[in-house]
Amino acid sequence: MTTKVEEIDGKLVATLIGELDTAAAAETEKALAPLLNAGGKDIIIDCKGLEYIASSGLRLLLSVLKSAQAVGSHVVLKDVNDVVKDVLDLTGFVSIFDFE
Amino acid sequence: MKSFGSSWIARTGIVVIAAVLVEIISIVQYRSLRDMMGEEMSLRTRVVMGTMANEIEHIFHLTEATMAENEWDILRNLPYPDSLFPVVSRLIDDNPHVVGGCLAFLPYYYPSKGRLFEPYAFKNPDGSISVVQLGSEAHDYTLNPEFRWARDSLKNSWTDPYFYGPDSLSYATFSVPVFDSKGSLAAICGLDIDLSWLGDTLNARQHFPSSFSLLLTRKGDLVTGPSDGRVSKNDVARIVDIVNGRLPESAFPGISIWRTSLKTNPYWQLVQVYKEDEVFARINGLRRKSMFFILLGLAILVFMIKRYSSNESKLRKASEEQARIAGELSVARDIQNKMLPKEFSADIHGALDPAFEVGGDLYDFYIRDGKLFFCIGDVSGKGVPAAMLMSVIHSLFRMTSQKEESPSRILAALNRHLCEGNEKNMFVTFFAGCLDLYTGKLNYANAGHDKPFLIDSSVCLLPAKANLPLGVFADTQYEEQSLVLAAGASLFLYTDGLTESKDKQRHNFGRTRVQQVLERCLNAHTHSPGELVLTLRQEALDFSSGLPQSDDLTLLCIRFQPSAILCEKITLSNNTEEVSALSSFVKDYLSRIQMDRKVSAGLRLALEEAVVNVINYAYPPGDKGEVTVYADSNYKEVRFTIVDSGFPFDPTAVLAADITMDAKTRPIGGLGIHLTRKLVDSVSYCRKHGNNVLTLTKKI
Repeated sequence: MTTKVEEIDGKLVATLIGELDTAAAAETEKALAPLLNAGGKDIIIDCKGLEYIASSGLRLLLSVLKSAQAVGSHVVLKDVNDVVKDVLDLTGFVSIFDFE
Repeated sequence: MKSFGSSWIARTGIVVIAAVLVEIISIVQYRSLRDMMGEEMSLRTRVVMGTMANEIEHIFHLTEATMAENEWDILRNLPYPDSLFPVVSRLIDDNPHVVGGCLAFLPYYYPSKGRLFEPYAFKNPDGSISVVQLGSEAHDYTLNPEFRWARDSLKNSWTDPYFYGPDSLSYATFSVPVFDSKGSLAAICGLDIDLSWLGDTLNARQHFPSSFSLLLTRKGDLVTGPSDGRVSKNDVARIVDIVNGRLPESAFPGISIWRTSLKTNPYWQLVQVYKEDEVFARINGLRRKSMFFILLGLAILVFMIKRYSSNESKLRKASEEQARIAGELSVARDIQNKMLPKEFSADIHGALDPAFEVGGDLYDFYIRDGKLFFCIGDVSGKGVPAAMLMSVIHSLFRMTSQKEESPSRILAALNRHLCEGNEKNMFVTFFAGCLDLYTGKLNYANAGHDKPFLIDSSVCLLPAKANLPLGVFADTQYEEQSLVLAAGASLFLYTDGLTESKDKQRHNFGRTRVQQVLERCLNAHTHSPGELVLTLRQEALDFSSGLPQSDDLTLLCIRFQPSAILCEKITLSNNTEEVSALSSFVKDYLSRIQMDRKVSAGLRLALEEAVVNVINYAYPPGDKGEVTVYADSNYKEVRFTIVDSGFPFDPTAVLAADITMDAKTRPIGGLGIHLTRKLVDSVSYCRKHGNNVLTLTKKI
């Protein structure tokens, strides 16, 4: 699992590649720490390479969303594949995230 | 209600028609009897009156004869006036009816005797006869109309009756002119007869107590009648008036009057009077009696009809009640029938034939976590009470076995429930088993039920300890037994309705015969569960052919076909790092059974969430612990069993997460179990041997 966070055109872009299972969650959480202090910048999470997500991963996404909404920034999930989309669907995340 | 009303009218109609018919018959009979009686009376009266008339005429004739016989004596002594006294004496002595006799000579017939000369003889009360010369100026017989009439007409005649003497007795006088030798009229001879006795004589032989006879003169004056007061003078006067036409007959209702006249001088009339109610008293009595019996008969008829109709209405009520109960029973039968599983497959088949509408037998089976839970039972007694208990047992079995895999503990739980408030002391023989469809491992426990047959290469009884039936003692322990079924082996379960099927000689079908039939089927290779159940059921029916089924008949046959194509397991320590190993294990296993990629991804997530839950929470922080995951599958489903020895925790009891909340209000956690539930077909939990056992199954 590799996680990369960069700032492009004033937006924070996080790229998730691999399987975000429970084992990878702790490491990913650390990598995504900058998103929790986005300071009003919009956030794009690129899920093109995200093959799998467990509830621990969903928890990370929810934390990001909560802190972003607290300061008025937008969070967009980009290029989510079917498997991950299904999981977001089952948990009702589809209705709280924006997708691209 | 309508039919009840019309039948009531019909029954009343029958009674009325019967009453009218009987009354018509009785009236016709009464009328004809009365007519016959009237004719009979008329005949008899004519005879009686004829006889009476003859008797009266006879008296007159005798008197006349007396006169004729003594006429020569008078004529011979006519010249000697004084000799005439013995003559009149002899004259009256001859005839007992004659009470007095006289010879009343024309005035101065004997100059020596003066103008009036009348020798007169009369009978004293003692029977002696006295003779006197009666004629005198004080007793001038020439003034007597009878004397005058006889003198002038020169004919014999009878006077009308007259009353004379201190007792006012009734008399009549026969007057005859007496001519002397020169042919001149000399005297009128009179013979007095007493009539007072005649009335009593006539009335002495009356047929009815109130009937009587009257004697009337030719002119219709009363001569005599009964003197005993059986009829008042007033009534006699009325009757005399009727006879004389001075009153109509209707003036004296209720009597009938008969009359006849004497055929000779003095042509008096004889009148016979009857009271009609006396004449017809016998037939009136008869009629009253017959009316009594008719009324009695009608009353009995009414009573019987009422009784019959009340019986009938009782019967109708009973049959309506029966129909209602039958209807309800048929619904109950449907309900009961629907409770029993009917989804038979090649490897399981059952049949239940209740002896009555509803029965106390049951069988059940269902598959949970790749295990077949099954049972068969027989409630003591039959009919509705047994059926109700059967339904309870069925529900209890389903409920208990959801959380409990061990048949012995299922039995113990059932038994405890049954013993609570089992006032009727009903008990249930019961056999429960749990067959692992992957491994063939059969766990079973018996509560007093017939041992099932095990059909493998041969047929034998499953070694099952009997134990007590359910419902006897609350603390009964049921021994659990187990064995591993070989591929293709079958278990044949039945209730005593099979072994105790009776033929006409009251022989039991018997367990030996069951075994023989099973062996026959085994040898003929017709021993699939369906075939075994149908064959045994048919054999039992044939055995007791023509006889009503005496007990519920229940059969259940289960065959074990090894269905696990792959069994794997992995044991992990309680460390989230292990999730990768789990994922590899799951992915590997699912790819080997060629599971669809998307489903595989879901299953992997479901397993990860369930196992992570154990890793995170089953053991106290810092403690080492393990979690083992078993994977197996058959052609229908895949099963994962997660076993750990941590705190008892039932994830299925956790409330479903609310996934509709927005980001702000949503809790961060709580999604894992939700995901697991969503991604598999069934999740079940049980605590077994100190372990948490969570089983996930997913249909393929």
